[in-house]
Amino acid sequence: METESVQRGLRIFEEQNPGIKVEYIPVGGDEYHTRLLTMMAGNAAPDVFFINTEGYYRNFARRGVLLELNDYFYQALKLEDFIPMDQDKMLVDGKIYGTSSCVVAPVLYYNKDLFDKAGLPYPPSNPEEAWTWDEFLEIAKQLTIEENGRVVQWGVYGFENMHPREAAIYSNNGLIFSEDYSQVAMNAEAQEALTKILELRTVHKVSPPATFLEQSGMNAAQMLQTGRVAMVADGSWALQELARMGFPVGVGVLPIMQRPVTTGTAHLHSIWAGTKHPEEAWKLVEFLSSEEYQIDLVREGLWMPNRTHMYAEENRGRWINPEVHPEGFEGIADYFANYVEPNPAIFVPREAWDIFEEELDRFFLDNQPLDKVVQDMIRRIDPILK
Amino acid sequence: MRSKLSRIKYSDAFWAFLLLLPNLLGFLVFTVFPVIASFVLSFTEWDLLTPMKFAGAQNYVNLAHDQTFWKVLWNTVYFTVGTVPVGIALSLLLAAALNQKIRGVKLFRAMYFLPVISSTVAVAIVWQWMYNPEFGLLNYILSLFGIQGPLWLTSTRWAMPAVIITSIWKGLGFNMLLFLAGLQGIDPQFYEAARIDGASAFAQFRHITVPLLAPTTFFVTVMSIISSFQVFDQVHVMTAGGPARSTSVLVHYLYQNAFQYFKMGYASAIAYVLFIIVFIATMLQFRGRKATYWSLY
Repeated sequence: METESVQRGLRIFEEQNPGIKVEYIPVGGDEYHTRLLTMMAGNAAPDVFFINTEGYYRNFARRGVLLELNDYFYQALKLEDFIPMDQDKMLVDGKIYGTSSCVVAPVLYYNKDLFDKAGLPYPPSNPEEAWTWDEFLEIAKQLTIEENGRVVQWGVYGFENMHPREAAIYSNNGLIFSEDYSQVAMNAEAQEALTKILELRTVHKVSPPATFLEQSGMNAAQMLQTGRVAMVADGSWALQELARMGFPVGVGVLPIMQRPVTTGTAHLHSIWAGTKHPEEAWKLVEFLSSEEYQIDLVREGLWMPNRTHMYAEENRGRWINPEVHPEGFEGIADYFANYVEPNPAIFVPREAWDIFEEELDRFFLDNQPLDKVVQDMIRRIDPILK
Repeated sequence: MRSKLSRIKYSDAFWAFLLLLPNLLGFLVFTVFPVIASFVLSFTEWDLLTPMKFAGAQNYVNLAHDQTFWKVLWNTVYFTVGTVPVGIALSLLLAAALNQKIRGVKLFRAMYFLPVISSTVAVAIVWQWMYNPEFGLLNYILSLFGIQGPLWLTSTRWAMPAVIITSIWKGLGFNMLLFLAGLQGIDPQFYEAARIDGASAFAQFRHITVPLLAPTTFFVTVMSIISSFQVFDQVHVMTAGGPARSTSVLVHYLYQNAFQYFKMGYASAIAYVLFIIVFIATMLQFRGRKATYWSLY
């Protein structure tokens, strides 16, 4: 679906710029950055490419293979037009090497039918009215239904996964890394948040056994659709699929521990430092960042806008799509305009993040005590961050 | 001049070399050169993008102190010990069974060979379903015996056995085929003579099939050990090395270092450690071969 939209976008770009022809090479999955890396090493990289912010963008930028875009960028665009988390995402030591097309961040999806049946209020979509963790837990308990000693409906799923997990830590004023990302922090607040997430499954029994949904052949969206789970914490991108599944889906903000927050991410478009056509390449990157390009995928529910002006009350009608975005989505727009912070994975090397995930697996899946896991994180990750 | 040309014209060595050239060139460019290059790279610090720095033996020193490296090395040995003996025993039994004159034997052979030619990705996805703790076939069968099945792929203890089972299943057909070829090379006269002497089926298997199959068994063992030390696909697709790196193997860690951590030199050092392990393992097998070969008779 993303491929089609990209092709449609490129056709519009070519019509607007008759002198420029774009050759599109789609490469899927894990292989993508491997391929990009080898093309650069072979001095035959594309002029313009998609790049992941997590683990790759900063690594590539610091190795001098991405064209520095400051002059082009500030001539054509204003940094403050991008929502704050997107500014952080693009800036590497004060310079820009890639331009954003969108933002994505976790939210709380729910199946309205299950709430109606239980006579419970829907999760709020207005960040000012967000549930506290305890209120959320209470609702999750009421939505967990057992029949003949077997749970047939779970309250919630997804907080142990990347993104909702970081959002919960931040919401509890926790820190995963120090402010300058030079060492692991994992303060008491971060540990408390992780413990509360684990307890959803182990103590309160409102969440199904860890990560098994992924392996059931049904994804979280299908579990929500079939009523096996009442609430799912997942990325905003999932709405594209959920909205087409023919059941009443709702979108709320994540429950708060100390403060309302969600942690965002999303790719960038960069230019190869070895390009022979920097001017034309920039035109394309600028187009790929424009409202004109992103709005189709925003209206389909895959992306959220990255420009502050698109979140202004009078402009929301341009992209909030009643066929996709459920009632009350105005609140989610406020959430993204004011409460999105960048996911810390954007700022550390992939190797450090892999160890973080590995150690968290030991906590969530292997019953290892959290203080031991945190000690191991510090011992193993700190040398990489220095 | 003329005589020189005609000398070339009738030189067997020249023509042989010329006809082998395409293959030799391919071998040089795509095998010999990378093998040498990665050896050199293993003494450098290189990210593929910025100039290479000579690092001496630092990569090897770091490897010795890398907790993750020892873990993935252990996982690789675990995988090998788990797949090779059971895989060989099962495929030998299967080959012996399918070497009988029974109806539809060709169909059975084809069926057992099917997993070998199936794509690893498709196989991995089907097995992910089978391993599902709640709806999976495997835990359903276990529940019939009153056993509560494990969480398989999401358990740090059971993920590796799960990968091992899938790998044995996938490799069974290939080894079976090699054993079948070996079995068909055994002269039926031996069995006939044994039967006349009153040897039981087991005695025939033990004293005729096993020893006469020894060259095939040796070949299968060497190849199985080499390929299980190099395992990557199943792990990459089924578990991506998780949970908590419990299924991450040498080649998986090598791949991560080369293409995700920007450490080409370090990855090359891992490749060379892998090469040395496989080399020593194979040498030991060749050494041990003669002794066992004759003791089987």
